[in-house]
Amino acid sequence: MSYMLQHLHNGWQVDQAILSEEDRVVIIRFGHDWDPTCMVMDETLYKCAEKMKNFAVIFLVDISEVPDFNKMYELYDPCTIMFFYRNKHIMIDLGTGNNNKINWAMEDVQEFIDIVETVFRGARKGRGLVISPKDYSTKYRY
Amino acid sequence: MSVQSLVSRKKKSFIGLPAPLGYVPGLGRGATGFTTRSDIGPARDADDISDDRHGPPNKKAKEEEKDEEEDLNDANYDEFTGYGGSLCSKDPYDKDDEEADAVYEALDKRMDEKRKERREKKLQEQIEKYRQERPKIQQQFSDLKRDLAEVSMDEWMNIPEVGDARNKKQRNPRAEKYTPVPDSVLTRAAGSGTSNVLSEREQKFGGLNTPYGTITPGVSTPGTGTPGDIDMKKIGQARNTLMDIKLTQVSDSVSGQTVVDPKGYLTDLQSMLPSHGGDINDVKKARLLLKSVRETNPKHPPAWIASARLEEVTGKIQAARNLIMKGCEECPKSEDVWLEAARLMPGDQAKAVVAQAVRQLPQSVRIWSKAAEIETELKAKKRVYRKALENIPNSVKLWKLSVELEDEEDARIMLSRAVECCPTSVELWLALARLENYGNARKVLNKARENIPTDRLIWISAAKLEEANNNIAMVEKIVERALNSLRANMVEINKEQWLKDAEDCEKAGSIFTCQAIVRSVIGIGVEEEDKKHTWMEDAESCATHAAYECARAIYAYALSVFPSKKSIWLRAAYFEKNYGSRESLEALLQRAVAHCPKAEVLWLMGAKSKWLAGDVPAARSILALAFQANPNSEEIWLAAVKLESENNEFERARRLLQKARASAPTARVFMKSVKLEWCLGEISNAKKLLEDATKHYPDFAKLWMMRGQIEEQGGHISDARDAYNQGLKKCPHAIPLWLLLSRVEEKTGQLIKARSILEKARLKNPQTALLWLEAVRLENRGGMRNIAQNLMAKALQECPSSGVLWAEAIFMEPRPQRKSKSVDGLRRCEHDPYVLLAASKMFWSERKIAKAREWFNRTVKIDPDLGDAWAYFYKFEIMHGDEDTQASVHKRCNAAEPRHGEQWCLISKDITNWRLKTEELLPLVAESMSIPT
Repeated sequence: MSYMLQHLHNGWQVDQAILSEEDRVVIIRFGHDWDPTCMVMDETLYKCAEKMKNFAVIFLVDISEVPDFNKMYELYDPCTIMFFYRNKHIMIDLGTGNNNKINWAMEDVQEFIDIVETVFRGARKGRGLVISPKDYSTKYRY
Repeated sequence: MSVQSLVSRKKKSFIGLPAPLGYVPGLGRGATGFTTRSDIGPARDADDISDDRHGPPNKKAKEEEKDEEEDLNDANYDEFTGYGGSLCSKDPYDKDDEEADAVYEALDKRMDEKRKERREKKLQEQIEKYRQERPKIQQQFSDLKRDLAEVSMDEWMNIPEVGDARNKKQRNPRAEKYTPVPDSVLTRAAGSGTSNVLSEREQKFGGLNTPYGTITPGVSTPGTGTPGDIDMKKIGQARNTLMDIKLTQVSDSVSGQTVVDPKGYLTDLQSMLPSHGGDINDVKKARLLLKSVRETNPKHPPAWIASARLEEVTGKIQAARNLIMKGCEECPKSEDVWLEAARLMPGDQAKAVVAQAVRQLPQSVRIWSKAAEIETELKAKKRVYRKALENIPNSVKLWKLSVELEDEEDARIMLSRAVECCPTSVELWLALARLENYGNARKVLNKARENIPTDRLIWISAAKLEEANNNIAMVEKIVERALNSLRANMVEINKEQWLKDAEDCEKAGSIFTCQAIVRSVIGIGVEEEDKKHTWMEDAESCATHAAYECARAIYAYALSVFPSKKSIWLRAAYFEKNYGSRESLEALLQRAVAHCPKAEVLWLMGAKSKWLAGDVPAARSILALAFQANPNSEEIWLAAVKLESENNEFERARRLLQKARASAPTARVFMKSVKLEWCLGEISNAKKLLEDATKHYPDFAKLWMMRGQIEEQGGHISDARDAYNQGLKKCPHAIPLWLLLSRVEEKTGQLIKARSILEKARLKNPQTALLWLEAVRLENRGGMRNIAQNLMAKALQECPSSGVLWAEAIFMEPRPQRKSKSVDGLRRCEHDPYVLLAASKMFWSERKIAKAREWFNRTVKIDPDLGDAWAYFYKFEIMHGDEDTQASVHKRCNAAEPRHGEQWCLISKDITNWRLKTEELLPLVAESMSIPT
């Protein structure tokens, strides 16, 4: 479903995308369109894009095409979701230990929407770190 | 699909554009990265991101699609072997590899199976041992947990909260601090233009010239230096000087002299004095300031008083007393301080204070009177006054106060002493004279005159004294002498003052003195041509002050000066009619007609007064005299006729009228004769007379009307019509004639004819509200509401300020619109009684009783001559008021004697009611009124 979502093709565009959004959360998926994890994630993203259009906007970035942020944001996972609000990286406590991003593919649309909404509400209040409504620590995953 | 459309619709400007040359991503927006996994994160280069695990899918072997995903999580890391997974995964996976893997797997399996039992047993043992050494926390507390069962619900709910263990500073985070903007910033902002204030340095060295010698070259000169630097210094200095000024204001200067203006300071403080229960800070501030005033200037009495009052207001009575006593010590010569002290002290202490005060200030009247006031017993008071008078024998106030306490006999003695001590006090003299008997009083007054030759009150009281002792002759003389001696003593005679005194005399019952004063004073200071005018004004003002004797005296004097002025006689007569008795009026009128025999009104007034008193022969004789004086006067003829007819002497009336017709054949005389005949039922006589009259006076509309009405009464409609038509030919502008004609037609059922008559009337008499009104009513009676509405609109256009029309219009509206219509009407003719009456009727119909009553009152006030208003009012009160209000309306109506109003005239002009008075008419008319709906 990646072809349905907006891609960004260079670092400048990524920066502009993050900067240009005044009152919506900018969700950026770093990864590869051909990556199976990303495919799962993109499916979810596509499904919820329309529902979240009032408070979030989604961009896809190919980390091979745009390697500029790999080091900065430690983009070593096949699929990484990051949230920005008014040029501020919004961290989210998912219970995984890494608060910076979601580095797995989420399959549940509603779950993802809940996370984004939490991010949006927190960011609006000026929070830099929000707590995910669901704990994604390993004990629940396995 | 919708997302795509969304994307395209809100396409961002940057989409699809290349990055600017040399752009460093992330830096442009100031992004910062993070390091969570330093082991792999930044250690790796950005370029080798595309390693095996993210290889393109076509390269990937099918077999390792799932399980060969390299996992770089911590869980996958081993110290010895590194990350799990194959090292050789980069190489192509061939058959050998497959075989080797199978062999290894088989080997592993076998090894696993070989020791499986033992290993598992061992593991179990190890775990158990471990558990024994380190039991789970859950187990450790299991005994305590068991005890929890015994905890009751109550105990559970009351487990105390854990307190906040942080210290106070941490617990209460400090509020955000705001530092004021430094002055330098402000001045820089202000001085960004050209600064036209010279700094001190500039002033010192003369303007903007650079002080050459003082500045080393290279350093910016003060004139051109940054404004911020200079201004900082200046501001500092200004602040210092301001502080200085303030300090010197409050504190004493070195020389010991105060620089504070105590008066100004105190008025400031006075305004600062807080009301009871005011701000505590204000009190403190005031106290501090007052203290500084007291200390800088301890000899200033108001400071002490103000301080004491402040304490009193704040409730510290004792402090106030202490302060004021200290004040007394500091300023022993100040009356005010002593009085304040006496006020603040309780009972006996106050006496002591006053005693001290008296010792300090034996000449102070106020302190003495205060001392007497404090004493409760009459005897003690008297004693105090005596003592006071020993010290200050010439104080009028003290004398008066002490005399007030004495009984009559002692007072007389005291006063005789008092006038010796204070010979210039008129009041004391007069008081003494009042207390003495006649002989002595005269003496006293004479003495007083000698002492005070310039006071008129002594003279006037002397005159009063004489009058009281029946020496009327003396009164006149005394007043004359008073004027002469006062003039001789260069006292200006003020007419207003004297008249005022005369009024006072009248109120005190000294009528003769009053008259004497008026007689001698009234002519003073009045120009010859103004005399009549001024006197009339004086008389009227006296009458309004209820000083009737004065007014009478003025009129009498005026009449003695101008005996032949009819207007003065008239005024005097009206005055007597309003305020005087019948006798005085008649006496006056007799004199009046003697002087002005040509004034018919005076004769008639005299006759009427006699007649009202029931003295008909006297009235007759007066009228006879009037005939002699004014032969052929229509008024007098008619008055005589009225007198006779009212007294049922119809024959005499008839004869009189006959005589009148012979000697003064006017239209009115004819009309009256016809009316008399008509009223007496002598229709044939009346007709005969009318024939005669209309021949003589064909353009007197009323005659025609009577003729028509008489015919109508007899049922001769066509004759009546003829009479009206003839009349209209002669006098086409007689509105009532037109109305009568139209009604006759209407009565015979010829609506169309009536309509055309009214139309003709309107043509001949444009802008006549009554004709329009009749037309509208005609339509209404005929049931043509639409035509009536149309006509009303036209009528209001033609006569927009006619109250009658508006009143009708208001009641033609349906009920909800009436109010707005009445507002319109009231705006157009604000003071029209008809509109007001309509409004009151409207309120009546809405059952707003109080409002209706108010409006009725307004109506009858604005036009008391409107009988309809009275009748409606009376009916209203009969229905909604009590007996009192009914009686009051009846009484007021009688006083007003209304003559107009449609319904009123209908009843009052009815021949059958020809001799009814207002009081009988009112209920009749009210009866005929319909209740407004």
